[in-house]
Parts: sequence; structure tokens; C-alpha cells
Amino acid sequence: MRAGLTLIAASLLVAGCGTSEGDERDLTVFAASSLTDVLPELNDAYEAQTGSAVTLVFGGSNHLAAQLRDGAPADAFLTADLDLFPDGTTGLRFASNRLVLAVPAGNPAGISGPDALADERLRVAVCAVEVPCGRATRALGIPLAPDTEETSVRAVLSRVSLGEADVGVVYATDAASEPGVEVVWPDAPSCPCVEYHAVPLTPAGDRFVAFLASETAVGILRNNGFSE
Amino acid sequence: MRRLLLTLAGLAVFLLALPIVGLLQRMPWTSLPELLADDVTLDALRVSLVVSLVAAVVVLVLGTPLAWALGRTDLPGRRIVRALVVLPMVLPPVVGGTALLFALGRRGLVGQWLDRWFGITLPFTLTGAIVAATFVALPFYVIAVEGALRSARRELDDLEGIAATLGAPPFTVLRRITLPRLLPAMGAGLALAWARALGEFGATITFAGNLPGRTQTLPLATFLALQSEPERAMALSLVMLVVALAVLLSMRDRWLPSR
Repeated sequence: MRAGLTLIAASLLVAGCGTSEGDERDLTVFAASSLTDVLPELNDAYEAQTGSAVTLVFGGSNHLAAQLRDGAPADAFLTADLDLFPDGTTGLRFASNRLVLAVPAGNPAGISGPDALADERLRVAVCAVEVPCGRATRALGIPLAPDTEETSVRAVLSRVSLGEADVGVVYATDAASEPGVEVVWPDAPSCPCVEYHAVPLTPAGDRFVAFLASETAVGILRNNGFSE
Repeated sequence: MRRLLLTLAGLAVFLLALPIVGLLQRMPWTSLPELLADDVTLDALRVSLVVSLVAAVVVLVLGTPLAWALGRTDLPGRRIVRALVVLPMVLPPVVGGTALLFALGRRGLVGQWLDRWFGITLPFTLTGAIVAATFVALPFYVIAVEGALRSARRELDDLEGIAATLGAPPFTVLRRITLPRLLPAMGAGLALAWARALGEFGATITFAGNLPGRTQTLPLATFLALQSEPERAMALSLVMLVVALAVLLSMRDRWLPSR
């Protein structure tokens, strides 16, 4: 509902600005909801650089793709799933997300690597296999002896930040968003992973996508736990 | 007037029965046997029965004296304690589970000492699931028994006094006078408390986590199955429905008023 209203607001905004291609033109960017934490920061940097405001519309990638197919006006789409587009669609792969080991701040159990996940003496939290982060965790191919299988990656994160679990498997971005945890196992495999592609839909959108490849944008993405 | 009341009562019955009908008409009857016979379902059933039955015993052992203290003594602070007893009924179970975590979790108020002195941690254990179920179920029993004690207070005072003057020792008075008059309320309260423990979800998943075979109860298994395998969720719901009906029906003749 809220996304719908934002969408209407966004389309009015775009309609009000006409179709001029000047630098001052405001943009509408559709983005996967897992980018919610980082995009406002990217947005500020883009506005500071170009002077044009960006309206962000967040949602599940599937949901947003369906809206685009129904004619929703957007200048660019940042998707967690490129397969939603017809074959041959190209986009800039601007970031990826991977699984990491999170431990409570200060690493009280002294955990250094993935062996800990199969250690019966440790309290291990992972996502349940029924939810996407749980399937990705199993795809790591590491032996697991979990003490709890949580219903979302955020629940795993809170187990670790509260110190109830000694170690948990979460996405790098989740770990970066929570000051109560730290990441161990720096040479974790980069996949299974979520890859984010930016697909430009208008010439103005092209400029935003090009910005995502800039040094400024890459730095912001890295600070938020994304990989290149 | 009568017609209006009957219409509203019928509406209430409709509201209660409709979801059950909805569940049953979508039930995957053909694949049901294999869905019910696998480990996930059987583990969840076992954990659920253990958790809810042990919680019911703890409720009986702790709740009866509490109901007595509230209903038959004039101890100060009873009002505050009574409000405290009702609190878990009003709190969202997730809040209850979070509160348990901050009290009994590994870094909780009391939990950190349990961990440090005895090496006991409750989260992620069967005991933790029982604690969570007891926390939410206890009020249902205490309220029922306390109500019965208070309404029969005058009668009990008289009869117990007579029995005592006739030379009956306290235990005999309890067994022959007090308990028989309380049994219906205790049975009804216990049935409600047990049912609440069986259906418990929020406090359990928040405090005790979710691990098949250890802390995954039927409601937790149902919730997770719904995200990937709706047929399994329906089969699990059916198990809960049957178990609950079986126990409530078997208790009806003995304890619950049938007329």
C-alpha cells in the first residue's frame, strides 16, 4: 500500500517534470528492499554531485519488476535478480552480498573460522532451510551443528548481537548494519551470493547507473558491507 | 430480542467454524500419510507434547499454591501480584519471549549467573521451551482456581472449620473437603493452560529458538513449513487440531461441564 502511494507520488513527480533530459530532471529509481539501508546514502552523494533529486521506491525485486511491466515510470531498476528481465538484458553488476560469520562484539568465544559452525560446545545460529538465507547457508557446503534455525537473517543477527549465540551465519550487509557484532573468517567464499544489477531504463537513468560505478559509490557500498 | 441474540450467536459460531472448514477443504488428503509419518512432523509432535505436558505439571505445582495465596489469604500486595499474574495474558507472546531473554538469557539479569555458576543456559533448550510455555500458560490456571476459591471461600471456611473441630488432620481436610470442591475449576483451568501451552508460538521462538527435534514445536514447524511447503503446514495444523480435540474431549467428561 505504502509502496503504491509512493509510486503514485513518484509518477506525479515525473509527469510534472515533463520529459526534458536536462541535468535538473528528477529521477525515480526502483530498488530491491535489501538495498534500503545503503541507497539513501548513495542518493545523497548523487544529489550532491549532480543536483538532481532521486525518488526511491523500495520493494521485493519480483514485485517491482511486475510494476515496471505494468508501465510504472522508473529511470533505473536496481534488482537482486537479473533473471526477472527478458534474456539479453544487460545491467551493471554494481554490488554483491555474501554470507559471513558474525560473532558478538569482542568475539568472546574466540572464533576464527567456519569449523566453529560444527562445534557442539558452541551456540550456533543459522537461518532455517525454509527461508532464502537458510538455503544459501546450506549451499556453503560447510558442516553445521546449529542450536537454533531462525526464521529470518535478522533474527540470526539479533541472536548474535544479544550474545545468546556464539556465532551466526548472516549476510555481510546485515553484519555491517549491526554494531553489536563483528565479522570473522575474512576469506569466506564470495558465493553463494546475491548479485545486484542496475538496469537503466531512460537516458537519465543511464547517468545514475554510471554513478554507481564511480569511486564514491563503490566506497559507500563497501562501507555498508557489499562486495564488488 | 431472542432472535437478535440467536443471530449474533450464530455469527459467532460461523466465525469460529469457518477457518476450520477452510483448513479442512484445502487439506492434501492423498499425500497426508507420508507428510505425517516423516521425522519433522513426528519430532515436532513429540516436542510439543513434552513441552505442553511438562508445562501443565509445573503450572499445577506452582499455580495451585499461588491461587490459594491470592484467593484464601489476606497477605498484603495481593492486588499487585494478581495484576502480575494476568500480565502474560495481555502481553504479546513475542514481548514475553523477549522479556524472558533479558531475564534468563545467557546475558540476562539472572541468566548470566546461571551460566557462570552452574553452566546452565536456557535459550535453545527444551527446558527453555518449557519455561516459555509455562510463562504464558500459568495465568489461565491461576485465574480459574483463584476464582473458584474466592467464590467458595465462606463455604470452605465453614466446612474446613467443622472438619478440624471433629479432629480431622489438615491433610485429611485438604483431601476430603477442599480438593473435591476445587477439582472442576482445577481441571478446567489446567485444560485451558495446557491448550495455551500447546499452541504457544511467539514466546517459544523468541526465547527458545527453533531446532527440529529439540525446540521445534508443532506451531513453529507449521510456521516454517508455510514458507516453503504449504501442504506440510496444513498437515501439521491437522495434527494440532486432532491432538487438541482429543485431549479436550477426554477431559470433558471428567472435568469440564458438559451440560
